[in-house]
Amino acid sequence: MDADPVPGSPTRPELRLQATTFPGYSAPSLSPSFKLDEGYSDDTRSQSDKELMPENVMMLPEWVLSQSETDRAELAYSLLRSLSTSTLAAVVDRLNPLLHMDPVVKLPPELTFEIFSYLDPRTLLTASLASCSWRARILDSGLWRVLYINEGWRVDMRAIRNFEQEHAEAMSPITRRARPQHSEPDLGEPKLKKRVPPTWLASRSNEGEGPSDAKGHGSIEPDDEGDHHMADANDRRSSLAAAPSSLPRLPSFLQPPLRSSLLIRSPNGTVKVNWAHLYKQRRRLEANWHQGRFTNFQLPHPSHPEEAHLECVYAIQFEGKWLVSGSRDRTVRVWDLETKRLWHRPLVGHVKSVLCLQFDPSPEQDIIISGSSDRSVILWKFSTGKKIHQITNAHADSVLNLKFDHRYLVTCSKDRTVKIWSRRELSAMDEDYPRICKGGGATYPSYIVDLNDMAPNILEASIANGHLKSLKPYTHLMTVEGHGAAVNAMQLHGNEVVTASGDRMIKVWNIRNGACLKTLMGHEKGIACVQFDSRRIISGSNDNTVRIYDHVSGAEVACLRGHNNLVRTVQAGFGDPPGADEALRLEAQEVENEFWKAQQAGVPVDLGPRALRRAGHYSNTAGSRDPRNISALGAKIPPGGGGSSWARIVSGSYDESILIWHKDRDGAWSIGHRLRQADAAANAARATLSEAARAAVSAQAQQLQAAQTLLALPTGNGAIAAPAQSAEATPDQEASDDTQSPNNTNPTPTPTAPQEPTAAQAGLTTTPNPAPAAHAAPQLHQHLAGANPHQARRQMAQPPSSRVFKVQFDSRKIVCASVDPRIIGWDFACGDEEILEACPFFQGLS
Amino acid sequence: MATPQITLTSSDGVDVTVERTVAERSVLIKNMLEDLGDSGEAIPIPNVNEAVLRKVIEWCEHHKNDPPTAGDEDDNRRKTSDIEEWDQKFMQVDQEMLFEIILAANYLDIKALLDVGCKTVANMIKGKSPEEIRKTFNIQNDFTPEEEDQIRRENEWAEE
Repeated sequence: MDADPVPGSPTRPELRLQATTFPGYSAPSLSPSFKLDEGYSDDTRSQSDKELMPENVMMLPEWVLSQSETDRAELAYSLLRSLSTSTLAAVVDRLNPLLHMDPVVKLPPELTFEIFSYLDPRTLLTASLASCSWRARILDSGLWRVLYINEGWRVDMRAIRNFEQEHAEAMSPITRRARPQHSEPDLGEPKLKKRVPPTWLASRSNEGEGPSDAKGHGSIEPDDEGDHHMADANDRRSSLAAAPSSLPRLPSFLQPPLRSSLLIRSPNGTVKVNWAHLYKQRRRLEANWHQGRFTNFQLPHPSHPEEAHLECVYAIQFEGKWLVSGSRDRTVRVWDLETKRLWHRPLVGHVKSVLCLQFDPSPEQDIIISGSSDRSVILWKFSTGKKIHQITNAHADSVLNLKFDHRYLVTCSKDRTVKIWSRRELSAMDEDYPRICKGGGATYPSYIVDLNDMAPNILEASIANGHLKSLKPYTHLMTVEGHGAAVNAMQLHGNEVVTASGDRMIKVWNIRNGACLKTLMGHEKGIACVQFDSRRIISGSNDNTVRIYDHVSGAEVACLRGHNNLVRTVQAGFGDPPGADEALRLEAQEVENEFWKAQQAGVPVDLGPRALRRAGHYSNTAGSRDPRNISALGAKIPPGGGGSSWARIVSGSYDESILIWHKDRDGAWSIGHRLRQADAAANAARATLSEAARAAVSAQAQQLQAAQTLLALPTGNGAIAAPAQSAEATPDQEASDDTQSPNNTNPTPTPTAPQEPTAAQAGLTTTPNPAPAAHAAPQLHQHLAGANPHQARRQMAQPPSSRVFKVQFDSRKIVCASVDPRIIGWDFACGDEEILEACPFFQGLS
Repeated sequence: MATPQITLTSSDGVDVTVERTVAERSVLIKNMLEDLGDSGEAIPIPNVNEAVLRKVIEWCEHHKNDPPTAGDEDDNRRKTSDIEEWDQKFMQVDQEMLFEIILAANYLDIKALLDVGCKTVANMIKGKSPEEIRKTFNIQNDFTPEEEDQIRRENEWAEE
């Protein structure tokens, strides 16, 4: 407030008085009783009029009123000078309110909208306590829509539109409930850029006291003149005006109501989502993340242990209500996240572990694609679970990761290569047809023609005469080589493929010609996972760190240390608000300017971490902006990678934990929470059960246990030993073998995959139903006893039992795949009804 | 070289002469001149009185060489409420004038001036308690103490 340069703040009377003598401006507000030709401003002064026309202001004689404004000012000044200081002070006190006027009265909603859009939510909520009309203007849905979007949060606009439509239909004239007495202050449409039409200004002077009332209500729809406008003003008058503020009003008269609700019904029956409510619920949800408030759940539902995978789960992806998982038990399973139940029978087709998958449940795509250590890729119809197509021997070794868009499927393998496949029929004329790039790392099958070598007319002729046939969907387009070890992970984004390998390098490729665009280094051991969002590349490694790179310059902008074993999976949401590119560039520049300034001032900023440490400075590599911590210059994003204050990284590790990283005040990443897979698993098994259900399950468990002892007799060790075996065998055999190969200083991947023990368990996967019951029973028993489900196994076999293979998070939950055959989740909605109601509209951080 | 001048007539009937390039900071006037051509006749500005019009012209004079604003994309940029020094001084006027400038800038479609005005008012709200805001703008508190208390508690979600 000290810095407030603006007159009108009560602490600066001298400025206000000064203003009245502004040259050429004669302070018409001091002469309201004498309305000269002052244009349109008079009639909006209802507020001042109230103050100035009480009975104790005496009527001025005619001769005074007939003077010009300047003369009256002189007269008043002389008169005031004749007073004693204390009397003068009292007069000034009485006059003071005249110099202050309410912008909510004075300005139409679009302009207070502009003003309020410069304020943060906390300030706005404080300001909403100023008066009823301020509150009504501030709780404007459109204003909160802007605030919501500027936080970097996203919404599912389609879900919102559908929801609004559904409810509008439910509000047909017959079913319409008694309408609330007041219309809601804003009808939910964002009012970006909306300006007052000239007609509004023109009409101000002939509406009498109407505007101030209506404006105070904040319900003018400025672009709709006439009826609507007047109706609102009347609305207000008939209700609130009838109950003057001096009389005690019932709380229910508060408008908008005290507690916001998800929907706003306007008088004409349209229904809109209330962004103020969405903002509030998102904020509460984010607070739950921050405070670590969550409930746990598991797939399958604890009452249906027989639906679980039989062995550890390597891959998961979820979208909307669907989650698809791939397991060492060779199956792919589709889950309904609402019921936590298996959707259809397990998808059987792979003959070894399913290591990776991606799915798209949209009706146009309706597909799951999975990759396996059997070297093949299988395409499934998502809705039915039917196998559509199989690419056998897609690679010479395990398919470790795959990604697809509507054009391409990209796979990467332990055989050190990346392959690109078509997803649609592709003619050489098609823009997605591969371009041959000589001298790069890519090789192309013989049927790919080099378009550089072929004149367009010859190409057309060859297609026309049938020499050049269109490529069928899922044709191999090219093989990209360049990594010196297994390619563990990859990401497809637009026309770029980002790959991460056991050779400690990240490479960026052009998907159209297979050219390697850049190579990023920094990790000290092999890289297990990678993510790319067009601005930053985030990777997790066997050196236990998560690193963030600037995509443009390749500079490492953060290195996060917190895990004490291989980081197997990572997801980052930076929550870039609109216009982020510019903001990020400016931030990065500012940091660099600080660096140079510090250097000029003689601060030892360029010593390098070791020398700095000797000088007593322990380098913060997690995104600190201290000049001494800057390790790379020229980045297009600031240290830490930038993004909104809600940015979040979730990483999962072989240390059996999941870390939630968030940004502290100066933009550096710090660990918000460490989640332990095993704890969550125990919670999930217990917490989701009601007392009755627990009793039922307990009984069921005993039955199953009895059945299991029977089963165990004929099959010997088979059924029970399998999970234990997987627990110890898996990390070495499948996953870590690939990612840990870089452990060796001289990374040489084993060319032949170790023979998996899965062949011996063929019986388990082909008859998934009886077998899981057999091994699930003892587990369940353990949960109910409140013990770690893996303790039994630990005693039998060796730890670790809950290495994390894959995490995914959205706005509300984290889901985790691990050595545990169950899929475990953390739900940060935490059972809160209001948050749950709003959740369908939220999307995670981009 | 003499720059072409145009005349504006304020709502209170005063003619104000101004350089055409200065007046064209107003998109409304610019469009009008483009559409109708400069007939040499005074352009009526029926919603802005002389005092406010002169003040607006003063701002336009000072900013006549500013690069054109990015237009609508501006709205997507993160908003800062920083105001450059000259504009801060310019906005040191009484509240009535301040609001009239905002209304005039909106009517005349001078986005940069509208932004400065709105930022100025926003800065007057920042960091103040509800009571201080009421004093600043002479707002009558029409909440009952119970209501005020309830709203305060209802708003606690933003504090965490």
